[in-house]
Amino acid sequence: MDAVKRYFRSPAAVIGLILLLLVIAMAVSAGFLYPRDPLALAGRPLIWPFSNPRFLLGTDNSGRDIAAQIFYGARISLLIGGVATAIAILIGILVGAFAGYYGGWVDNVLMRITEAFQTLPNFVLLLVLVAVFGSTLTTVTIAVGVVSWPAPARLTRAEFLSLRNREFVQAGKTLGMKDVQLILGEILPNALPPVIVYASVVMAVAILLESALAFLRLSDPNVASWGNLIGLGRDVLRVQWYVSAIPGIAILVTVLAVSLVGQGLNDALNPRLKGR
Amino acid sequence: MDFTRLEINRRMALLTSATIAANVINPMRAFAQETPRKGGVFNVHYGAEQRQLNPSIQASTGVYIIGGKIQENLVDLDANGQPVGVLAESWEATPDGKTVTFKLRKGVTWHDGKPFTSDDVAFTAMNMWKKILNYGSTLQLFLTAVDTPDPQTAIFRYERPMPLSLLLRALPDLGYVSAKHLYESGDIRQNPTNLAPVGTGPFKFVKYERGQYIIADRNPDYWRPNAPYLDRIVWKVITDRAAAAAQMEAGELHYSPFSGLTISDMARLGKDKRFIVSTKGNEGNARTNTIEFNFRRKELSDIRVRRAIAHAINVPFFIENFLGDFAKLGTGPIPSTSTDFYPGPNTPQYPYDKAKAIALLDEAGFKATGGNRFTLKLLPAPWGEDISLWSTFIQQSLGEVGIQVDIVRNDGGGFLKQVYDDHAFDLATGWHQYRNDPAVSTTVWYRSGQPKGAPWTNQWGWEDKTVDGTIDSALTELDPAKRKALYAQFVKEVNTELPVWMPIEQIFVTVITAKARNHSNTPRWGSTSWHDLWLTA
Repeated sequence: MDAVKRYFRSPAAVIGLILLLLVIAMAVSAGFLYPRDPLALAGRPLIWPFSNPRFLLGTDNSGRDIAAQIFYGARISLLIGGVATAIAILIGILVGAFAGYYGGWVDNVLMRITEAFQTLPNFVLLLVLVAVFGSTLTTVTIAVGVVSWPAPARLTRAEFLSLRNREFVQAGKTLGMKDVQLILGEILPNALPPVIVYASVVMAVAILLESALAFLRLSDPNVASWGNLIGLGRDVLRVQWYVSAIPGIAILVTVLAVSLVGQGLNDALNPRLKGR
Repeated sequence: MDFTRLEINRRMALLTSATIAANVINPMRAFAQETPRKGGVFNVHYGAEQRQLNPSIQASTGVYIIGGKIQENLVDLDANGQPVGVLAESWEATPDGKTVTFKLRKGVTWHDGKPFTSDDVAFTAMNMWKKILNYGSTLQLFLTAVDTPDPQTAIFRYERPMPLSLLLRALPDLGYVSAKHLYESGDIRQNPTNLAPVGTGPFKFVKYERGQYIIADRNPDYWRPNAPYLDRIVWKVITDRAAAAAQMEAGELHYSPFSGLTISDMARLGKDKRFIVSTKGNEGNARTNTIEFNFRRKELSDIRVRRAIAHAINVPFFIENFLGDFAKLGTGPIPSTSTDFYPGPNTPQYPYDKAKAIALLDEAGFKATGGNRFTLKLLPAPWGEDISLWSTFIQQSLGEVGIQVDIVRNDGGGFLKQVYDDHAFDLATGWHQYRNDPAVSTTVWYRSGQPKGAPWTNQWGWEDKTVDGTIDSALTELDPAKRKALYAQFVKEVNTELPVWMPIEQIFVTVITAKARNHSNTPRWGSTSWHDLWLTA
């Protein structure tokens, strides 16, 4: 409970949480507020925002309601952010835990693989994956997850390295606990807080990666995503700049919210910052 | 949807003013007295690479825009749209229409120094135009031999009559000659010369950096005296249309051909005195937007489904709100700009009628389960913003009648391969180009027996003996009135069967620097050799 109190003591963290809840609310309410398909033709293309009460944020160059796409886009961004982060963290924890716990040749092999992934810029790798496996929502989400796991893996490994020789682990070993029990039951819960904090960074990057992909028109064009809207808006950027600017603000707000929440969690969970 | 209370369309207003501006700035005004300036580099916007630069084996504006400066055709069109000799100096046909004799220009050499002779013409005609060239394979279907009694004479022999007027209208696009000595051995399609072309034209190929640029330099040994004026042409590969517009404004590009910029940018640059935005010089390249059906999908092989799809799309709404002045309602494969062959609008048409579309789909037995009858994969060609908008509009419109459309985007080469070679599409959409006569590049969209992989031809898995018969009769009919009647018959037949639907007509828009002289002066100027083009200081 101390941690919760500490979290709410930081105004930045509170703002981040409010913004994130707002984005989640948008995702949840999209279906009620805009029951029609957000990609359906809604009216005349390129209506400016606030000029027509039917389309509060205007329409894009395909005559689709921008507000509806922003609301539905929140779903896609949160979905990709959430699922891709889960994939990245899961792979990262597995690789990091084994490498850190066993050390030796296991560590060597796993870390060489991790480094091989780390030497490739993750966006380039993502482009390759999407080029090979196609750009449906599923493949894009998995691809974003697959390119994001090395950093959590290294973080988990470092935590395991420092924890595996602590007394409670030694005691567990003396008691005859199995490796799996020690890794999952004893070390992991203690290694988890920094990884969870780092997950917020992964999530923010995942949302940006998908948007960058969509900006290059390489993401799934059949879903309403913020990146798709920005990519489409490029064609009219010089005159109807709002088509790209509005989803840009949505991405900015979401990434900011996730980062602030992550920072807040970090401060709240870090015992050394107690009493500050 | 309620579209009855639409406000005044901002985009329409923009486009109208752009057109007015384009008309006021007449590119030909009083420049006749100016003395051409030698030198200069001309930078050209190249929007979509096609993995191919040789116009003898791929007929496409995207190939002519480069290959047409390096290689030359037998005949081209003059300012009035009349045939004028390039590599051919004169021609004549026998009264039965089965023999056409070309006298070729003397003293022309290939860029590698070898002389140009009738052997090159015979080789190109028999091995490229007849066998590989996407439109040539239909045009030259009845070509049996090309005799070469001497190096300056090529005699084309046909099994059935070939109307001379058709041949002369077709050769500007389908009459580019390649060097026999470079293509004699090996597979012509895989020949490396296709990506480093050697021709007789005013510019010599220098370098092709994939995804970046193509360079050609002035040919000092060109056969026309004192030509060309330019030192160099650089084609810059820029797929992002907004970036290309920015480069035009920064002076880094001089010319964006074939509606390469976005509609909103073309309208914007049309009001800028530094540029000329016009449809002039593109009269020979009328185009229609297509919906291509793959008959290998059982749903699409049902004529009721194809008609339902045509009825489900509100084309006048799309044109009015998305394309504005740059387009008009089409009525089939022969556009209204073709004064010689347009059959009028009284052929089977498919006006917007959502209720009828739904009734047709129900009748065909495709019931909506959970709002969706079936899902189709739509492949849009990557050239032109209108195709991208049109594909989204198709997706939206078909969604309204219970057909889910998934759009699959590709680059130029990928699109051509997946649609016309792998047949991995359900619906495809792009441009059909009408080139002065239906037999040049229109009937190939319908005639069966097209070689697999030939782009912009009938690759739909559709064959109709009646239509094939009409096309073949029209191809060999020497009487112009009878030909026109046959093509009217053809439009009626294909609009009934609907293997491809062509509901929008457009003429390409050129954006070019006001410093250019002798530009846009022929009906297919973007594709021509530019031997007289020059830039003011």
